[in-house]
Amino acid sequence: MASTAYEEFLELAAIEGKERERLLPEWIEAARRMRLSEEDVRYAAREWIPKHVEMQYLGCRKLLGAMVRESIDHTKLPEYKAAGKKIVYGVLPANVMSYLALKRAGGDKIFVSFPDLNMMFMAQYFFNRGGQYFEIAEQAGMTYGARHCALNKMRIAIRLTDLIPTPDVDWAWGLVCDEATKIDEYINCMYDEKWKTVITRLPHDTSADEVDYEMPDRARFLGRELRYSVGEVEKITGIKVEDKHLEEAYAESQGLLATAGQLIGMTVRADPQPLRSSTLLLASVAFSFPLNTGLDYFKDGLVTLAEEVKRDVRSGVGIYPKGVPKVGFYFIPFALPWIDKMFMDNGVATSISLTFLPAKRQMEPSKYTDPYEKAAEQWLKKVYGMGCRPELNDWIEKVNMFKPDAMIMGFLDYDRWIGALHKTMAKKVEEATGVPCFYMEADFYDGRDYSPEALRTRIESICQIVKSRKAAKQGATGSAGN
Amino acid sequence: MELIAELGRAAAERPTNLRRMKRDGTKIVEYIGNFVPEEMIYAAGAKPYLMCRGGEPEPPDAVLGEILRFMNPLARSMAGFHILGLDPVTPFADLIAVSQHECHVQRLAEYLEFQNLPVHKVGVTVDWDRDFAREYYYKELLELKRKLEALTGNTITDEALRKAILHSNEINGLLRDIDGLRKKDNPPLGGKEFIHLNHYTFFTEPEYAIEKLRAIYDELEKAPGKFDKNAPRLLLAGHSVAVGDYIVVNRLEELGALIAAEMLEEGFRWYHWDVEAEGDPLRNIWRNRYLDKSPVNIFQPGWRDRFAHMKQLIEEYRIDGVIWYQLLYDEIFDLEYSCVAKWLGEMKVPLLRVETSYEYTREAMAPLNARLESFVEFLKGDK
Repeated sequence: MASTAYEEFLELAAIEGKERERLLPEWIEAARRMRLSEEDVRYAAREWIPKHVEMQYLGCRKLLGAMVRESIDHTKLPEYKAAGKKIVYGVLPANVMSYLALKRAGGDKIFVSFPDLNMMFMAQYFFNRGGQYFEIAEQAGMTYGARHCALNKMRIAIRLTDLIPTPDVDWAWGLVCDEATKIDEYINCMYDEKWKTVITRLPHDTSADEVDYEMPDRARFLGRELRYSVGEVEKITGIKVEDKHLEEAYAESQGLLATAGQLIGMTVRADPQPLRSSTLLLASVAFSFPLNTGLDYFKDGLVTLAEEVKRDVRSGVGIYPKGVPKVGFYFIPFALPWIDKMFMDNGVATSISLTFLPAKRQMEPSKYTDPYEKAAEQWLKKVYGMGCRPELNDWIEKVNMFKPDAMIMGFLDYDRWIGALHKTMAKKVEEATGVPCFYMEADFYDGRDYSPEALRTRIESICQIVKSRKAAKQGATGSAGN
Repeated sequence: MELIAELGRAAAERPTNLRRMKRDGTKIVEYIGNFVPEEMIYAAGAKPYLMCRGGEPEPPDAVLGEILRFMNPLARSMAGFHILGLDPVTPFADLIAVSQHECHVQRLAEYLEFQNLPVHKVGVTVDWDRDFAREYYYKELLELKRKLEALTGNTITDEALRKAILHSNEINGLLRDIDGLRKKDNPPLGGKEFIHLNHYTFFTEPEYAIEKLRAIYDELEKAPGKFDKNAPRLLLAGHSVAVGDYIVVNRLEELGALIAAEMLEEGFRWYHWDVEAEGDPLRNIWRNRYLDKSPVNIFQPGWRDRFAHMKQLIEEYRIDGVIWYQLLYDEIFDLEYSCVAKWLGEMKVPLLRVETSYEYTREAMAPLNARLESFVEFLKGDK
């Protein structure tokens, strides 16, 4: 029986017995370092998390447990650094395989993680307390009005508050937006001259009639960028990444993708649906960023959840009433789970996220033998690894495959690459599929500008439209007051 | 000055002249960004037209139904002028070559592709500290060469390219001479005329521009100063003063300041750096754009080098204060601003950031005007 809020939280996270006893003081210290009070922990364990995640599933609790262990590990970073462990950070979005390979090569001698994303999960998704970090970054010079990315604000804030130390190197990918890598230069110029960065970049310059992952020159160039970057990281850390590490990491990341893909497919096809969309994203964590504590806890959670979902789908058990309309997203704003809940409260299920639904091409074997080119191809096959014409085709393929009752684009108003053309793309997808597509201007991580009150009317309207369309399709008639 | 006005009138005739040339079989190539070398377009026997219009509120708003609101207003303007039917050249351009070095313009290129316009993208790698990444841009120049040759049916010979380079260098040299006049205590021209001159040279034939710039220099050299001897000397730094976006520049000089130097990225010739004329001309263009000049804002690492260049300008032009002219929602320039503010603060050089959305209504101008006036008055008091 849990006696404190901290212990209650660990219990919720399926951390039991001796391990719980061992981790409890570390968890209390981790929460303190993450600026979470006991009241925050209690509120998260009793209200926030159960309200926003399907904690009735042991698999979800285990996934939370994997994240808790990872966060405890993060808060030990100053001690790791003092003990001489090499520290490598990365930045989303990147190809997780490359970081897994680095961890395989370095083992316990190296710490590899994306600390800003880890904190976004912990502080914002699980505790709804990310705002304090965004404000720290803004007060320290990252202006509010220019619509910067909150994930980047998080990176600045956790460094400024010494939650994370200066790494040996931050290997940052700027394959999507410009800001991700430039934040490293910003940190170096503004606050921390020892903050070293290796960047991996590729211009967005494919033509409308070209498909990025089908272009050998493109995969070769990106492969070379990756090889160069790994070489630089090797020089800095003294840890040698061999091809076998990359091969193993490739197989591991493809395996994770397949398991998560099965879970996602099974969930979004089910009626009633057993999980909401943001929970599916939690199940996709390990192919979004590397976990320094390893993949065992995460895999355990994922496999457990997949089994539980399979069982419930067979029995017709779900969290929504049977037959409710489903909306898909470009990318469900997981860090603001109240958005997902708002759809639920309005009688609409949240379903696919185009970004996290593996496309058929992603499951096909690689055309390349060089592990760096394989990694490059893996990236170029991702939905945000390509120009917008092939991306549009990808969206259309997925929407046609799952035929949600509507799609919601947007939520990436700060991202001048991913979010820039969602309005245009929404119209094109609607034309091609007949599925109504809505655009919502909002933030993916930061709920301060687009609060529940600001978005409520829009979400209610969308839900009303979706439900009435579905009713019309089914030949049902509605009348005032029903 | 009548000669400047004359060059301006010639520039204004460019779309009409291009339409005429198109009818006679000449290919018209619009381009965005200095990483698309106009020398190559001339060498192919085509005619270039710089796409860099801004300063009006409606075009950026015209695309809000299609493009993210938080793209910078220059990128939205370039699409918006076309959507509103106000772009005089895009509808008949044979090619739109777009530099692909940062997201705002990269997505603009994709949007133009969705409008079924003939876009060609010129990739620019920003990690310029590694050899193979640098070569990427060179390969992109080769690709542009092939594209232009296929479009025009002409081979871009070294000789033709060298000729175009020499023209550009001559324009650069004359701009440097004219710019040099601003180093005087009381110069005969300020930033307003200089920025206009820059713009006009993009929209006139090189030979004509050279002839006019030479005459302008000769006249200015003898002309009396037009500023108060205690006029605060400003450096105008930022992304771009677009063609048509002159309100802030004009206002600063109306208030009695002198814009003595600029550090701008687009819609402005990189006239401090000539292209080497001897040797492989394409390789020389590559080196000039990519390595010789101070890095552009998006290059990484770049900001310390850029600040070193800024310091050099501050010294050389005896700058009293810096205006950071920023496009609204231009997030990378916004980040650089914080660094510049920190470093200029350490040097005790006054700095004012002015953000523009191209909204210059009376309501918007009142607070802007107050800020500009306060800054200029503060600098005057300091002199």
